[in-house]
Amino acid sequence: MTSALLEQDVEATDADRDVRGGTSFWRYAGRKAGGAAFSLVMVVVLGFFAFRILPGDPTRSMTRGRIMSPEQLETLKRQFGLDEPLHTQFWIYLKNLPRLDFGESYVYRRPVSDLIAEHLGATLLLTGVSAAIAIALGLWIGQRAAWRRGSWFDRLNTGSALVLWSVPTFWLGLILLLVFGGMLHWLPTGGLKTAGTTATGIPLVWDVIRHMIMPVVTLVAVTYAQYLLVMRASLLEEMHADYLTTARAKGLREDLVRRRHAVPNALLPTVTLVFLHLGGLIAGAVTVEAIFSWPGLGYLTYAALSGPDLPLLQGTFVVFSSIVILMNLAADLLYRFLDPRVRAA
Amino acid sequence: MTSAPRSSSRATSATSARRRAAAGRVWREFRSSRSGLVGLVVLLVIVLLAILAPVLAPARLLDVTQIDNPINHPPTWSLPLGTDPSGRSVLVTLLWGARVSLLVGVVATLLSMVIGTVVGMAVGHYSGWGAAVLMRVVDFFLVLPSLVLAIVLSAVLARGVWTIILAIGVTSWASTARLVRSQTLTIESRPYIERAWALGAGHRTVIGRHVLPAVLPLVLANTTLTVGSAIIAESTLSFLGLGDTTKPSWGSMLKVALDSGAATGGFWWFVLPPGLAIVVVVLCFTLVGRALESVINPTLRGR
Amino acid sequence: MRAIRNLVATLSVGALAGALAVAAPATSADAAKSPTIFKVAASSTIDTFNPFISIYLLPTGLNRLVYENLVQYSVKDGSPTEGLATKWETSADAKTWTFTIREGMKWSDGQPITSADPQWTYQQMMTDSDMGTANGSLVSNFAKVEAPDPQTLVITMKEPQASNPGLEIPVVPKHVWEKIGDKVKYANDTNVVGSGPFVLEKFTPSQSVVLKANPNFWQGKPKLDGVTYVIYKNTDASVQALKAGEVDMVGQPTLTVPQFDSLKNADGITTNAGKGRRFVGLSLNPGAKTRDGKKVGDGNPVLQDKAVRQAIRQAINIPELLDKTFQGHGTLATSFIPSVYPQWQWKDESKLAKYDPAAANAKLDAAGYKKGPDGVRLDKSGKPINLRLFVDNSDSVDQSRADFIVPWLKAVGIGVTVKPTDGDTISADTTAGKYDMYFTAWSLGADPDYQLGINTCNALPTKTNGEGSTSMDYWCDPEFDKLYAQQHAELDPAKRQEIVKQMQAIHYDAAPSIDFWYPENLEAYRSDKFKDLTKMPEDGGVLNGQSGYYALLKAQPVGADSKNASDSSGGGMGAGGWVAIAVALLAALGGGAWLARRRGSTADDRE
Repeated sequence: MTSALLEQDVEATDADRDVRGGTSFWRYAGRKAGGAAFSLVMVVVLGFFAFRILPGDPTRSMTRGRIMSPEQLETLKRQFGLDEPLHTQFWIYLKNLPRLDFGESYVYRRPVSDLIAEHLGATLLLTGVSAAIAIALGLWIGQRAAWRRGSWFDRLNTGSALVLWSVPTFWLGLILLLVFGGMLHWLPTGGLKTAGTTATGIPLVWDVIRHMIMPVVTLVAVTYAQYLLVMRASLLEEMHADYLTTARAKGLREDLVRRRHAVPNALLPTVTLVFLHLGGLIAGAVTVEAIFSWPGLGYLTYAALSGPDLPLLQGTFVVFSSIVILMNLAADLLYRFLDPRVRAA
Repeated sequence: MTSAPRSSSRATSATSARRRAAAGRVWREFRSSRSGLVGLVVLLVIVLLAILAPVLAPARLLDVTQIDNPINHPPTWSLPLGTDPSGRSVLVTLLWGARVSLLVGVVATLLSMVIGTVVGMAVGHYSGWGAAVLMRVVDFFLVLPSLVLAIVLSAVLARGVWTIILAIGVTSWASTARLVRSQTLTIESRPYIERAWALGAGHRTVIGRHVLPAVLPLVLANTTLTVGSAIIAESTLSFLGLGDTTKPSWGSMLKVALDSGAATGGFWWFVLPPGLAIVVVVLCFTLVGRALESVINPTLRGR
Repeated sequence: MRAIRNLVATLSVGALAGALAVAAPATSADAAKSPTIFKVAASSTIDTFNPFISIYLLPTGLNRLVYENLVQYSVKDGSPTEGLATKWETSADAKTWTFTIREGMKWSDGQPITSADPQWTYQQMMTDSDMGTANGSLVSNFAKVEAPDPQTLVITMKEPQASNPGLEIPVVPKHVWEKIGDKVKYANDTNVVGSGPFVLEKFTPSQSVVLKANPNFWQGKPKLDGVTYVIYKNTDASVQALKAGEVDMVGQPTLTVPQFDSLKNADGITTNAGKGRRFVGLSLNPGAKTRDGKKVGDGNPVLQDKAVRQAIRQAINIPELLDKTFQGHGTLATSFIPSVYPQWQWKDESKLAKYDPAAANAKLDAAGYKKGPDGVRLDKSGKPINLRLFVDNSDSVDQSRADFIVPWLKAVGIGVTVKPTDGDTISADTTAGKYDMYFTAWSLGADPDYQLGINTCNALPTKTNGEGSTSMDYWCDPEFDKLYAQQHAELDPAKRQEIVKQMQAIHYDAAPSIDFWYPENLEAYRSDKFKDLTKMPEDGGVLNGQSGYYALLKAQPVGADSKNASDSSGGGMGAGGWVAIAVALLAALGGGAWLARRRGSTADDRE
């Protein structure tokens, strides 16, 4: 939801960077790491209290419509640690956090960290591949569109990117599922691999790839527009820079000017925004995983909503947020490391 | 201001005249963007339809005990978009749904803009540890997976349209704040602000008379772009079962369609219209927003 | 600058490497000959397969396949039938139950099954409250359990008990479980040792549950080599999977009517609208109070008046509601005991109320609720009557039912405010008595004792926050309680059934809940691949969510060549046409956007 199609973002980010140009790398890194640490602390605190102000008694809703004696309900409460006062619960939560111990899931009766570890791979696979494709596609089309501003290529691609960006993710996923899974039988309708499959090696990889196609296409379709537009905008800005005129004056071929000079410089602000928009990708993962039964963290979050499985929701929230925060920190550091203007300074 | 009321009022009228002229210029330039204009016209038509919904389709058409349509019926001449699983006309529900969807989109965005603008100006204008901490908070909200936070909020609070608005509003303001902050920094570095300081202007004057008017156009463009995201967010929260089901919105229509298995049943007349309506409205807001943006931010022109 | 390009390249390579890494540690079993595996799509939650802890419907049902009970529910009408025990005797005072265990039975690992196994299982639940998490209430009346010899089990009760104590509780192998350290935390999800027709081989969370046939099952090895449950979070996807032949059965939980109808005419698929063991209804707050009469919550006082509750029942057109919200896929209810248990269900047509808004209005007039100026009746303090109705957001049928009930009650002068919320909030608020009306539903076992029990005064909570006990509708009646005690110890089934029916009649008249109907479970399977699936009850029952293990017990492949899964798609215009429309519309939109940009570009190009 934060990922509006903001072209000014490019400049805002650029301005931020330039202000900080003069400081040393380590001071810069320290400040960024401090910011990230602050965010992590906020996530941890918010992760606890946001879920505790939920009204109601989870043991009641979990056992609705089932034969339960009051003693059984008391037992459940004790097992979940709900008989402790809130501050004690918070203290236990803090104490266990450094060991990545988020407590035990109400529903699955297993450590939340185990569940997250089991599901993390699938989400990283899905979002990683989708992000790579969306970024590659967005940047490539974006730079071509900018270079041929106003051409049919530019108009068609920018137009269709805007349309796809306007589509609700789950709706697109559902329609793809009906067409390619239900009607044409080209692709499997859900899951990460065929259930109970005994395949190994290449056949298994192929099986996983077949299962991945629809979720990845859905996720790419709704996210690549922002990369495209940002790349297009920042390249357009670069194209009028003096050094390009100099390069052309030196007699460099047009495509070399583009490849060697304009595109790399335009990439810098774009890369930062790519990382800034990762949160949007994760939001997409929740709905895409629910539609395609993809056994990842988003699916786990969606399933935990109907418990409600508080420790699990808390765990996925903290993990999702931490991943995004750390990725942003990495992007900040990388940016500083790669930016020629800063390196020169 | 109190010491020189006359000169102040004259200044105000001069300012307002200047602003009217500026608005006229914006409109002329906006008009030249055909895509923005198309988006604006379509939007106006949809808003008009939404406002006129009670006249075009009286509320009793939504009362399932008053209507006697077959359920899940394909389109006919009298029911141009068929009926839903309760026998309501999909066209009627779509019309009423526009009211809620647009309301959620616009109000949530306004909330987000107010928070974003205030925080952004504060962070850009003031310095010191308070502003530094606030900036960290902005950074925090910026990277946080806002959908996950919105899920938490809508699960915590009582269900309803206002909860959805609040959940979207308080999770989507950070990018606005960041934008406003950098614009504030740019403006405050200009010579006329230094002159204002030298003439003894206070914080309130600098922010209210100089920074805010300069920031607002940008916020306006940002608003139109954000409404689209908010409408999509509303449909996503509804899809996740966190919406208000008593009032039809496009998101809750899709939720009903999904829950009732309309997609598998092949009831395209119930699955497609709400989704397409979302696509059209979001696209229009985006087109208008982009056009406004390029008018307001001249460095973007020619892109 | 090259670094950036490398970065992008690294990202994509890394993602691919990730794909391989995730794929690598998968199963490496030998796939010599292709076994006959039946695949079931399931969307319900799986908590754990530990039978002492598991409280969700799906794993409880799967454990019915893995563990044979001491006494099983019969496929005909759910009455007690042979399980591990071949016969049982009850002492005249209904306090001592003696079971005879079948000789020569073996666990799936080859160890013998003896009376020591149920004895140990029950003992665990009686002595450790954590081990009673799932089924503790079923052993709460047990005084002691003894195994005098390997073939005999004796259960001594605290109070007389007419319902068979050997039902429902999964019996685990003592020789396996006594070696486990922390039994409560034990996941029990790989290579499980069991006694039922299928045993659990492997559970992959959020993906699948693999069960294989148990050669040592006392009725003989099933014809299927195994059953795999494939987990879908999206029921539309599971229906598509059935059509595509990826799974062989759907319907756990029930399909929606449009999904069901789309499968009706599909080739190679047989649908089943099975009579379920659930009832759905509208619960009214009859004045929630504690056992000692203290007020609980904030229910609207008008509902304490029986006349109002009865009038509400007459104001709701239940047959039309069933027709419009669930397309008639249910049997109209007469009480809270569903029609799959005809021996227990009360059904006195002469006493059943019909939809009659005029009579409802007359009843409310007679009870002294005058209509206010806007047509809404006033309560005894002169305030307009406005009842809250909780609706579960995740239940689309709930929502559409509310759409009908609001105007119907308005027609008799009762105002209703719908409160959409989630299941958790509903159960919290209803427990605390903070409700007027909500949609209720219960699944019943073959013995009605528990359901009757939660309608007695003893089931009322002890604390004013609603805790201390579970009451079905916060209603109780001394007359009902007297009959409850009587049937609890009545060993003659016919007499006991008669008493139970009288109790339901009292409940119907008091109307603390308005029972709507017993919904059918809508399900379907690939009949071109598999045959001989058994419903429970046999006559018009369900395949999914049985309270026994019958569905797949005798199931077998249709022929040697079961691979020719013919593609099937819905008839008529079907999905094909409308997806084409969607694509066309999207393309048109894209074209429109493009055109718009193109026109605008002349202006844009001005520098």
